[in-house]
Amino acid sequence: MSFFGFDTTLPNKKGFFDNSDPFAEVARARAAGQQDDDDDAIDFEDTYDGLGDQLNEDQDAFNDDTFGDVGEAAPVGKDFDFFGRTAQVADAFGEEQVRYNLQYPAPSEGVAETTTQTNAVQEPKPKRTGYEKYEDPGYIPDLQAKSSVWGVSKKPEEPIYEPPAARRILSLEEVEAQLRQSSARSTLLAQPPVSLPPGIPEPLYPPQQMPLLPEIFSQIPPEILQAQLAKGVPPAQLLQHLPQPMVPEPYSLPPQAPPGIPLHLLQNANFPPQHMVPPPQRHAMPPRPLQQQPPLPPQALQGANNPMPVITNPQQLMQLPEEQRMAYLLEDAKRAKRNHKIFLLSRFNGLMTPQDKNFITRIQLQQLVAAAGNVGDSDPEAVLAEDFYYQVYSQIRGAPRQHPHQPLGHFAQTYLFQTGNRFGGHGGRRNGQNADNHMQRMQQQVQRAVEAAKAKPKNKQLIIEGSLGKISFSNAKAPRTMLNIKRPESSEGGKTAKKAQTDLSLTDRKSILNSIENVYNNLMAMEDMERTMPPPPDESDPEAIQRHMEWRQKVRSLNQKLWQALKVMEPIVPNANTPHPFIAFLSYPKGKKAIPRIFRQIDQEQRVTILTMIVVHLDTLDVVRRSQLAPGESLSLDVREAVELFSQAVMPSLLMYVSEAPFNIIIGLLGLVIAQTHVQTVAKTRIGLGILTMMLSRAEIVKEAGQAEERDWQQWVEKFNVLFDTLEPIFADIFPASINAGDDMYVWQFLAAVGIGASPEQQQRLVIAVKDRVMETVNYSKTLPPDMGSQRLGNVNLFMRAIGLDVELLG
Amino acid sequence: MLFFSFFKTLTNQTVTIELKNDIRIRGTLKSVDQYLNIKLDDVDVLDLDKYPHLSSVKNMFIRGSVVRYVMLPRSEVDVGLLEDATRREAANQAGKAR
Repeated sequence: MSFFGFDTTLPNKKGFFDNSDPFAEVARARAAGQQDDDDDAIDFEDTYDGLGDQLNEDQDAFNDDTFGDVGEAAPVGKDFDFFGRTAQVADAFGEEQVRYNLQYPAPSEGVAETTTQTNAVQEPKPKRTGYEKYEDPGYIPDLQAKSSVWGVSKKPEEPIYEPPAARRILSLEEVEAQLRQSSARSTLLAQPPVSLPPGIPEPLYPPQQMPLLPEIFSQIPPEILQAQLAKGVPPAQLLQHLPQPMVPEPYSLPPQAPPGIPLHLLQNANFPPQHMVPPPQRHAMPPRPLQQQPPLPPQALQGANNPMPVITNPQQLMQLPEEQRMAYLLEDAKRAKRNHKIFLLSRFNGLMTPQDKNFITRIQLQQLVAAAGNVGDSDPEAVLAEDFYYQVYSQIRGAPRQHPHQPLGHFAQTYLFQTGNRFGGHGGRRNGQNADNHMQRMQQQVQRAVEAAKAKPKNKQLIIEGSLGKISFSNAKAPRTMLNIKRPESSEGGKTAKKAQTDLSLTDRKSILNSIENVYNNLMAMEDMERTMPPPPDESDPEAIQRHMEWRQKVRSLNQKLWQALKVMEPIVPNANTPHPFIAFLSYPKGKKAIPRIFRQIDQEQRVTILTMIVVHLDTLDVVRRSQLAPGESLSLDVREAVELFSQAVMPSLLMYVSEAPFNIIIGLLGLVIAQTHVQTVAKTRIGLGILTMMLSRAEIVKEAGQAEERDWQQWVEKFNVLFDTLEPIFADIFPASINAGDDMYVWQFLAAVGIGASPEQQQRLVIAVKDRVMETVNYSKTLPPDMGSQRLGNVNLFMRAIGLDVELLG
Repeated sequence: MLFFSFFKTLTNQTVTIELKNDIRIRGTLKSVDQYLNIKLDDVDVLDLDKYPHLSSVKNMFIRGSVVRYVMLPRSEVDVGLLEDATRREAANQAGKAR
């Protein structure tokens, strides 16, 4: 039978006290704990200073007198053997430990549970050394403020926050009674003696992780607690409202955070929250129940900038004139409302510390930066690449409203600046400087984030092994996540194969469209080059000259690429089934539209080459070929559109060149028309006639200006005569089929051009050939409304005057 | 961003928007964002008989994902420029995909 009546003979229950060297465990544990710290073992010999050797040890003579004679004394009893006795209940210690831990699994729940589950702890328990708690660096040895010591009586009206009876100090009798009871039961049940009666705590071994909350509350004057609780303030927040000095000195909070309280609450408890409206007043007068505290006089809150008279008591208010009183009351109500609102909101004060907020802000800023991708560059090139249509459109037509494009970089900067102000605004804050540092750090971080985002743009995509494509993450510029199909490794090979195919079939629709696109891409590249043209070089600045030279070089190479893409120089195959690539190019609206832009980018020689190409193929040109009509037919809509487009897009460019072209080129072109094309076919179309008119009128202008040499002129006249002779039979047929078919001005223009250049004899033949049509038109114009009629007459007159006549003469 | 860029030029123009639930709304395009969300002002709902609940709506914000068509004033579209912008966009995309 042991001292406490515990059965100590349970098998396999070895514990601390079973060890021969109980402190070996401690040493081991400590060694384990220190392993990473410091391995330098301190040798006794190294550190012993030898002072012990100087001790005078020769005066032991009266030891027996002092300590009693050992020899004649009664045999030594066992009652000092505390170790042995305690060892017998070592198991009970361990069990109690485990049971307690199970009962209070987390410190925060410590208040709720009582000892009702005492029987539940019969499972095998891990071996314990009894020193576990010392291995926990955060361990705080029981700081139990026993309020009874200080004469503060327990408040029975705080049942919720009082761990039931846990704090009760039992008298010796009570303890013994309990022990006796439990030992009796343990013998009864043959169970480990852990099953204490429910509701009775273990007085001798107070739990090591005593929840601190109630303890702290017990130090607060009860009135305040009650007042706060009555208002439904949660206990955690109560704590937060408590200024530190409130707690009596010896029981102030331990320097480390007690385990049960979230860190940030404590942080806030240490410096009063800034937006908290009531706290200082509230806690400054502890014994007074808060609810009876009169509302703060408004002046106390905003006295300085209040224009109202300072009112300290109701009488003063009554003495005020009616208006002022009303205004005052109104103001008062407003303030009350505002204060109430602030109070309501203040419930959430301190949920986030400034650090938390900064953290969030930082994350948001980083996301902003990452989303923008390449923020800092408000470089016009990048903007143009992303926003080409809008930018150019705005330049062309004027922005539809004030410039809404705000570079994100600027935005981010603004935002940063604002946050800086916001934090700086809390003047007089103790850690204001810290906040500044924080902002600086944040700015630096944002900058780093920007740079990182710039440095590796590859991160925008995720490539999953074995997948077909890659997933690109969305950002502000490309909000939709896209799946990009992976290009096969042999993309180069694929391209060359395609190119070969293109060469094989220059004429199929797809390859023609492809080559048109190719031309456009070259055009755009050249137009981009135009924008980046360096300023005209200064003679004295070799670097600028160098830059200019390089730029010119690039333009030249681009020009060459464009020229090749146009395929103007492809060999002409006579009588081929398929049209020349360039003519095919011109047969698509896109190709026609490209001509003006091409003419801007090429030099005169290239222009004349293109003109020559067109003239040579005049009768295979789609607008000529498809305009050939059998009698009674009229042009289909798409042909008319094509003709219209050609005359709007291509003709002006050609005309521009021809109007400046040297005479010999005109002669050569006319010769080509006569030699290479079916002139009669060409002349029956609007475009063909237009080109002929162009050349004839240019020759006339050259002649008028007297720039033509005699020899050239002779050549020209020869050619002209051939042309005239060829066309003479069909002069009547070059008109649109019926007289009311609409616009025939271009024919009259052509006839006028022929008429001017013709000899008097030719003019007569001309008049005879078209006389009928002239008469018809004149008559027809009389049936038309005056304005349309005079227009038609004007057209005819254009021709008549060219040969020295007038419609007026026709009567 | 071509469509965003394009729609931006149409601000303050009258457009007709057909939603995926067949409602057609005509109004002044006030703004558009990169999700092609659309803000319309002075709205008129076509076929108002069918959607009487919309008769009192004067302006609205339309989520981009519910739009089926946007009908534009033809004169406000620069086709040539749009073609070039499209080519650029295609070139950009091709550059990114590689």
